[in-house]
Amino acid sequence: MRSPISWRSPATWYFFRSDDRLLLIVAGAIVGICSGMAAVALSQALIAVLGWLHPYRTYGWAFLLPAVGAALSSLFLNKIMREGAGHGVPEVIYSVSRYGGLLRFRSSFSRLISSFLTIGSGGSAGPEAPIVMSGAAIGSNVARLFGLNDRQRVTLVGCGAAGAISAIFNAPIAGLIFAMEVILGEWAAANLIPIAIAAVAGTEISHFLQGKQIPFSHHQFDIGSIDLLACIGLAVFTALASIMLTRAIRMIHHKSDEISLPAWVKAACGGCAVGLIGLYLPMVLGEGYHAIREMMEGQFAPGIGLVCLAVLAKIIATSLTLGSGGSGGIFAPCLVIGSFAGLAYHRVLVYLWPGVEWVQEGCFVLLGMAGLVSGILQAPLTGIFLIVEITGGYDVILPLLIVSSVSTSLCHYFEPASFYFKDLVEKGQLLRPGTDARVLADLEVRELLETDCITVHTDMLLRNFVDIVKQSRRNLFPVEDDQTGHFKGMIYMDDIRPYLFDPLMYDTVLVGQLMNARVETVSPDDDVVEVLERMDADRLFNMPVVANHQFLGMLSKSTLLDQYRKELMVQTYHLNR
Amino acid sequence: MYSQLFHIFRNTPLGRETFLQSLYFCKQVQATPVVYIPEFIKFLMYFDNDVVQVDLDDSYLTDPATAEAHTRELLDSYNLKPKYFAPKNYTASTLPDIPTNFDFMCCPRSISDLSSKIGLGYLGPRVRRIVTSARFPVLVTSPVFKPWTRLAVFFGGSANALNALKLGLRIARQTGAPLDIFTQAEKHSRKDYEAIIRDHHLEEELERLQQRWIFFDKGAFETNLYEVPHDALVILGAYGHGLIRNLVFGSKMEKIQSTIPNNLLIVGPHYTAGI
Repeated sequence: MRSPISWRSPATWYFFRSDDRLLLIVAGAIVGICSGMAAVALSQALIAVLGWLHPYRTYGWAFLLPAVGAALSSLFLNKIMREGAGHGVPEVIYSVSRYGGLLRFRSSFSRLISSFLTIGSGGSAGPEAPIVMSGAAIGSNVARLFGLNDRQRVTLVGCGAAGAISAIFNAPIAGLIFAMEVILGEWAAANLIPIAIAAVAGTEISHFLQGKQIPFSHHQFDIGSIDLLACIGLAVFTALASIMLTRAIRMIHHKSDEISLPAWVKAACGGCAVGLIGLYLPMVLGEGYHAIREMMEGQFAPGIGLVCLAVLAKIIATSLTLGSGGSGGIFAPCLVIGSFAGLAYHRVLVYLWPGVEWVQEGCFVLLGMAGLVSGILQAPLTGIFLIVEITGGYDVILPLLIVSSVSTSLCHYFEPASFYFKDLVEKGQLLRPGTDARVLADLEVRELLETDCITVHTDMLLRNFVDIVKQSRRNLFPVEDDQTGHFKGMIYMDDIRPYLFDPLMYDTVLVGQLMNARVETVSPDDDVVEVLERMDADRLFNMPVVANHQFLGMLSKSTLLDQYRKELMVQTYHLNR
Repeated sequence: MYSQLFHIFRNTPLGRETFLQSLYFCKQVQATPVVYIPEFIKFLMYFDNDVVQVDLDDSYLTDPATAEAHTRELLDSYNLKPKYFAPKNYTASTLPDIPTNFDFMCCPRSISDLSSKIGLGYLGPRVRRIVTSARFPVLVTSPVFKPWTRLAVFFGGSANALNALKLGLRIARQTGAPLDIFTQAEKHSRKDYEAIIRDHHLEEELERLQQRWIFFDKGAFETNLYEVPHDALVILGAYGHGLIRNLVFGSKMEKIQSTIPNNLLIVGPHYTAGI
């Protein structure tokens, strides 16, 4: 007798079957707690190792530290974990787009360790993307454990990402928005509650383990109209920096791919170059939050020239770290570059118009961070709420809205896809739910086959064929070779109508003489998108599906569109709940 | 019916033997061999509820320049049309995605570990993961090519075993090979097993195709396995029970794979193809 409770699939429990959102809320909380713990673990480990290495940074050989860290990180990722290198977040988005959020279990810890090695040694990268990857993988594997379906798994992947961002920045709303805006790409009510629960769980676990601290202290800013006007210029400046960073990382990544050296050697070379930059400009090393705090407090001493140089140096250092194969994300570098950009812009304004009463430079540091995050991620809400939450105040909401929206729009004009989406868009792999590409990607030729056609043979007399026509409800007939069974062509009723009404032909004409032998065929493995393009180009409504010379069935546009509609309804069902 | 067998080609003498097993199987069941000559050492297979990363043994990348020629030569000897698989999707630049909608997949006993480990009783962890997650049956080949002329299905009454039996019947229909059913009586009598077959309306077809139903009601299972013909393709279900039950009571599949050297066609718990 079957057990009433299946421990292997909690989704079938009566309690959860009454409303599957209950299951997602429970699972979301678990995922939020686990990803929050992962975030805290990495954050604390980085604080410890950066503190431990700090005294050695003054030595001449210290430039080798990032090289060693990047090489170890690459070796760990490629040789021990055997994971394909990447920034993490695009892989999560790819998995959500194509495979219902399936992620490997090893991804739940591999990027944490590799990014710890890269960033801890001084590499210019952030811990956020690895933590998002880790949280998402935790979500995916919890979904697997619970035996959840694709839709529910994607929600838990979002929960993992939200929990991770919430925990590391102590910013639950930013975590929630990041998961919806960047990872899932849809605003469905069914996703909202579990992700919000996960974000709260991630934040609370962070509070519990490391106290209720906000990353950057809150300040009151007296923002005037002239400051608001100046924000537009800052948005342009941060958009420019965003585009430079995106292109520089990709350029170094492509150049690095062309060099035929082991991955760890390339990562070490990149790390070495970063170490050399760090000897002269130490603020570019590591995640760089210390420099941001100094800038916000107004204690960052270097002048305009050095700050502008720091913007460029941080862009180059980040590109070298990530482009050469180091492990980490762009979130923290964006915040640092944005804060340098904001500070530089403020100081230029003060230098040019010393008589104007500008707001404190800490305000422009904040706005610069929002501009860069919004520009590079092309996710303005994430940028706005992240800055609001990590600084603990809504005072700067108006200029934040201006900077984020202008920066996002400008970046979108020059780089239509965000940093995370760019590779996926180029490969045609960004398949957001409910879009044409996604619906078609989920259909296969095999499932669209119509097998109700009557096949006829080449040596069949027209008289016999007419008898078959009388029984058939279709107006097309595949023709096969009598001996081999190979597909030879098609007979379309419209083409042979004159013969059907001429009884004299009945015993003189063979089917093989009437058929159209030059028929476009489809293989069962063909991509539905390509098949549809061929149908549109040749104005075809039906195509025979043939494999190994054997006729398998017909593929019709009407069946395809019928299935398309059904698939679209499945994909958008939750949006209407 | 159009069916495809997925084969990852290893350009070594051991790989040739495995490929010959695949080709022979394809010829018998009229399936198309889909050959993948790997360019990278690893790939991903996204199943319905699991993603399996396969890290191939280094020997899979041996002498890539001659790999295609070697496969063509062998395909020609079986008069089979070559169909090569080239990955379209990549999770990372060196990590291709392999589709999971094939009807069969051929694996040696291990594809990740060194080939020197391959022996009776050893089934690699990746092969196990694939069997557990796949919708298709997995052809686990013996190290040396040997044509099979009979079919042997292990039927213990579980849902997985029933799927294995249905698959055995299908292959028997396609190939005309005689089918033997082996059952080790445990708590149930022969009548109970017959009732299961009757309940699933397989009685008639079984009578038509079956040559023997060998029912072991005494003796150790491993000892009784001597009765399995040496030239039979063994079809069996696997991983139908939970981990704890397998740990406590042992797994029939493990006993079979560690005792007999025949080619195995293993049906996992998610098998649905062609039922």
